[in-house]
Amino acid sequence: MLNKHVLKNGMVILGEPIEGVESVAFGFLLPCGSALLPSGHCGAANIIEDWIFRGADDLDNRALNDALDSLGINRSSSVGTNHISIAAALQAENLLPAIELYAKIITKPRLKDQQFIPAKQLALDGIAALEDDPRTKVMLNLYENFYPAPLGTSTTGKAKDINDLTEDKVRALIDEHFNYSKSIFAIAGNYDFDKLCKKMEALFDIECNQKSNELQLAQPGQKYTHFDNEGSQVHIGLMTPTAKPDDKDYYNIRTAVAVLSGGMSARLFTEVREKRGLCYAIGARYHGLKQAAGIACYAGTAAETAQQTYDVTREQFEKLHENITQEEIDRAKAGLKSQLIMSSESTAARTAGIAADYYLLSRVRSLDEIKEKIEQTSVDSVTEYLKNNKFNDYTVVTIGSTKVEM
Amino acid sequence: MEFKKEILDNGLAVIGEFNPAAKSAAVGFFVRAGSRDETPQISGTSHFLEHMIFKGTETLSPLEVNQAFDDTGALFNAFTSEETTVYYAAVLPEYLEDITKLWSQLLRPSLRDEDFDLEKNVILEEMAMYEDMPHWDVLDKARTLYFQSHPCGNSVIGTRKSITELTSKQMRDYFSNRYAPNNITLCFAGNFDWDKMMQLAKDNCGYWQSQTVERHLLDYEGAVNTDKLEKQSVTRQHICLVSRFVSMQDKKRYAASLLGKILGDSVGSRYFWALVDNALAETASVSCDSMDGTGAMFSYIRCSNENEPKVIDTLRNIFKEIESNGMTQVELTAAKNKTLSALALKNEVPMGRLITVGFNWLYLNEYRDIEADIEAIKTVTLDEVNSLINQLKPGNFSRFTICGTAQ
Repeated sequence: MLNKHVLKNGMVILGEPIEGVESVAFGFLLPCGSALLPSGHCGAANIIEDWIFRGADDLDNRALNDALDSLGINRSSSVGTNHISIAAALQAENLLPAIELYAKIITKPRLKDQQFIPAKQLALDGIAALEDDPRTKVMLNLYENFYPAPLGTSTTGKAKDINDLTEDKVRALIDEHFNYSKSIFAIAGNYDFDKLCKKMEALFDIECNQKSNELQLAQPGQKYTHFDNEGSQVHIGLMTPTAKPDDKDYYNIRTAVAVLSGGMSARLFTEVREKRGLCYAIGARYHGLKQAAGIACYAGTAAETAQQTYDVTREQFEKLHENITQEEIDRAKAGLKSQLIMSSESTAARTAGIAADYYLLSRVRSLDEIKEKIEQTSVDSVTEYLKNNKFNDYTVVTIGSTKVEM
Repeated sequence: MEFKKEILDNGLAVIGEFNPAAKSAAVGFFVRAGSRDETPQISGTSHFLEHMIFKGTETLSPLEVNQAFDDTGALFNAFTSEETTVYYAAVLPEYLEDITKLWSQLLRPSLRDEDFDLEKNVILEEMAMYEDMPHWDVLDKARTLYFQSHPCGNSVIGTRKSITELTSKQMRDYFSNRYAPNNITLCFAGNFDWDKMMQLAKDNCGYWQSQTVERHLLDYEGAVNTDKLEKQSVTRQHICLVSRFVSMQDKKRYAASLLGKILGDSVGSRYFWALVDNALAETASVSCDSMDGTGAMFSYIRCSNENEPKVIDTLRNIFKEIESNGMTQVELTAAKNKTLSALALKNEVPMGRLITVGFNWLYLNEYRDIEADIEAIKTVTLDEVNSLINQLKPGNFSRFTICGTAQ
């Protein structure tokens, strides 16, 4: 059962009660993601995500953080392509005081100058740390090159841009982009929806900017990029376009990706790791934004096996439409359905799922609907989709001591 | 929630926590086998063996094993630590029987030579992967630095030399002893039919032969050492401190884990305010590892090269301050609330309960329900936390650093 209410300011409140749990999880999607910020501001969202927690309304930095901790809130926040996501999970009895604190953080952050400096430094540190995490770096660069700009704009930021940011520039971005009418609030677990909505209505009864978020998309980046690195492995990222989350063939492509890389018997794992022992980590997954989508693949291997790993991996993409069996489809569906049901047991996972659905599809799918759609895919429907949409456009990024030939 | 248990004649403990409201079920085989049970010659065998379990039996090929797992849609995997190897799966209740039967077959593996040779490459690739993850690698190296010759300092993944030279016979010998049924706990959590699972355990594991399995439990004062590894590919300072911590068997472990949270939770802790809030370090946190008969507390800090001396000074000041003045009641209350929230979230899914219930049995031979854990956390006093500071002396640490090569 889905609860829905739209606040006077336009913010959509979505909820799904989960029986038998003592916790509640909630999250805000604020339209301030990396792609929505003006050119030259890459990384501003990362500063914002930190800075707004450094004091709000009557609470200074210390008092605000102590108040969050005293409620036992498990906090998380992150920067995505389209949103800053701010989430919390906690024991249900502390929900309303927690909502009050988060409303202060979003609507009345103090944004003091002296707190800007460490927020900016931590954003720079996050970028510097990527150099020691080639696996994450390769995928960030892959998204940047694969998606039409600005969709692939780094969600970690660019040091050059961050260095040029000032307190006033970032304050202006917050004013402009914290548009509640385009924000989504989702909640799952143990809560009273009427009480919650009354509280939210009172807390968010304020004017805000009504900026529209229409993006002008440019061309994607270059097809192959290599970064030299003297680490132990060559890290390979590969991505190819596919149907978006709102496409009629969405479930066919999800089943197809599961045939490719859903479980340990899926084709990629079998061919690359099990038969040839080329990699420890190898996998592909569906990566969907509202505006575009792809299948993103990662493999980490030794320099001397990098080319073979790349070749075998790419061959599996190209042959995916061939000889798909009923058993493969059955296993793909079993995996997708299990993941769905098990993620619905966790309040935090369900909250994220509700919010993402609403943003991507403008509605929330029920678990039964998703199960039914997965069930409707077949050998024929998946094969037909893949035959009509063969993979022939790849973006590749490598980090390591050797390049690969595309 | 209802707890069930039965010990088979061969010593296999079968336990379960039944929750009729759960939508899924989880099953795990918890084996008391880890790197602390290895000699230097076979370093990395427990973990390598974990990989080999997936390679099948006399009647199941590796591909058939993978297909059988995927037929159930299970979320399944295995992990190896210094003292346990756990094989687990979370499934919809209708698949629990299939997946349990499959695991029980796999725990009597064929360990074929050709699979062993191929999988060696995968292990070496895994080792290379961790070498490219200094935030992970530093914990492993710091553990060894702290534990010195104590077996808890043995590397889980082993060395290139030990893995390259390991023979399938050495692995078979290790397996035949450590995987005896009296050294294993079979655990269920969530929505399952106990009688059916019990029968399945008897039919599939009842013939396993028990053995005398030993583990030497020595507590350890801990070494105070400093070491570092410079790597050309690394740009930041990855610092790990290791100090004394209570064992799983120690009743003070709830107080000790709250001490760890006050000291180094990712937000709101002493580390957070002294190191991260002011951007001296990018990250600074504590993880506590209560082990069999001993324990270790790990602090991981990542910072720039120029901030490293100040970070170390700040850490020393934090330890001095807490040794002199202790923690505050406000800090303890916040740590308790955060722990209770995390516990509520973890306990909502059968997979979360599986790990807790399984480890409690493996280490303590005891079932503890959720309420018992909540009560144990709620009743910890500030005096208990502060007296642990003097007992554990977190300021007496071994420090390992991975950083870039000196210019």
